[in-house]
Amino acid sequence: MSDKKTLVISSASQLLDGKTRRDFIRLMGVGGAAIFLPSVLTSCSDDDDNDGFDGGPIGPPNSGAPVVVDFAKGDIAIIQFAYALEQLEADFYTRVVANMSGFPAADQGILGDLKNHEIIHREAFKIILTPANDFTLNTNYGNLNFADRTSVLATARTFEDLGVAAYNGAAQYIINLNNLRLAGKIVSVEARHAAAIRDLIAPKSGSQGDAGTSFAPKAFDDAFRPSKVAAAAQGFIVERVTLNNAPAAFVQGPNNNG
Amino acid sequence: MTTQLKTLYDSIDPEIIETVETRSAEIANGASASSKVMAALALGSVPIALGVLSKEAYGQAPADVVDVLQFALLLEFLEAEFYNRGVAAAGLIPAEDRAIFTTIMAHENVHVAALQGLITAKGQRPNAKPTFDYTGKGLLPGFNFGATQYATFLALSQAFEDTGVRAYKGQADRLINDKPILTAALTIHSVEARHASEVRRLRGKKGWITQNSRDDLPLFTQAVYQEEDNFTQAGLNVVALGNGNGGSNAVTEAFDEPLTKQQVTFIVNPFIVGAP
Repeated sequence: MSDKKTLVISSASQLLDGKTRRDFIRLMGVGGAAIFLPSVLTSCSDDDDNDGFDGGPIGPPNSGAPVVVDFAKGDIAIIQFAYALEQLEADFYTRVVANMSGFPAADQGILGDLKNHEIIHREAFKIILTPANDFTLNTNYGNLNFADRTSVLATARTFEDLGVAAYNGAAQYIINLNNLRLAGKIVSVEARHAAAIRDLIAPKSGSQGDAGTSFAPKAFDDAFRPSKVAAAAQGFIVERVTLNNAPAAFVQGPNNNG
Repeated sequence: MTTQLKTLYDSIDPEIIETVETRSAEIANGASASSKVMAALALGSVPIALGVLSKEAYGQAPADVVDVLQFALLLEFLEAEFYNRGVAAAGLIPAEDRAIFTTIMAHENVHVAALQGLITAKGQRPNAKPTFDYTGKGLLPGFNFGATQYATFLALSQAFEDTGVRAYKGQADRLINDKPILTAALTIHSVEARHASEVRRLRGKKGWITQNSRDDLPLFTQAVYQEEDNFTQAGLNVVALGNGNGGSNAVTEAFDEPLTKQQVTFIVNPFIVGAP
């Protein structure tokens, strides 16, 4: 194995380090080898990706098996698409809540609520989809330090704003009124979340625009087409989210940026 | 059913056909049909008649979309003037909160202008702004944006924003066939939700609605929160999803509920001079 690189990992905490983790991921991608010293194996049980959660394959985003969302299925595809985002959010806040003991109490209350809401959204979609259209995504947050409030809140803001834009943009493809109603009931809760997270980052800010820090940075929220949302979410999802038969036509919202 | 019509029906969602057939039967039995339907039928053009009829039967005729826009415009007028007056009132809004309300104020005024533009683009004339009475015809006696009335201002703001979210949501059905208007309305709808979240948290409440609680708002605002404690989503009772995830409170928080136009009208009429 002279032409293959070897990474020696002597402690579990090394995998929490962004550089080590990136090296590890890169190495695995080119057929390299990593040597886990016994101290690692005894210290981290079967927690493959060292995120505090057992189970789940490690892998860079967009490296896993394809998860196909086929828009030829009509509303089922829209629900699957929303389900993917809710899986991502629910997973994210579950990790956040497990690591937020150092955060201010006010943060903890909000983040705990968000975790519950997103899990409930995920589970509702899971029931609606039935096993025939179900799938499970694995996540990868790169070197995000879940103990760092600033990093956690910035990622939460990304997810919540993206969720709002995703529902606002996908609603135009919904055929069944019951599904449109359900999307409407959820998107405003995501918007409530987005405002709360933004206010935790920049309290009482009125700063407007794409880079604005305000709880409501624009008079109209964004409406993104599914492919744009998927591209943004893919950066955190191991499986390759594949949109088949995605509609070519997209009606832009007032911000004309979807 | 003629063969021609049958063929046409085959390409349409069964739910729509059922609705159209019901409505067709009603019209055949003497229910009012618009002049467009009657003109199309008189011309013997079944496809044209169906095209017009399906819109009317499903409730998305252009006139219906304009009605939604006029209804939204009324609510945005109510909010915009409320914040215009609040921000202009000396000593009402503390300095540290002014950025919040100047932001909301600006958004509501943009919404007013946008809705007026959309209505005009539909070839209709936007309704004029009514005269508002922010005491709610005595529900909040003496409220006049006075320097000592910030708590009342905040309470009304929360009630208006939470109403706005539910009101837009309740109109989505009528916009399902007009994608540009649906999308525009949704991008306003979620901004109202951001406003609601911020104002609620400014008042020390959660940014989301728990059960059907109006928190500490006056009794007359209960209509704003009625039926928010709904557990039926997509035809399924989802209360059990709260097990281990915040209980039934979290389930109600996770879904905002719509209000009908009638319910919203009941809520806002006290604030409109001349309304019943």
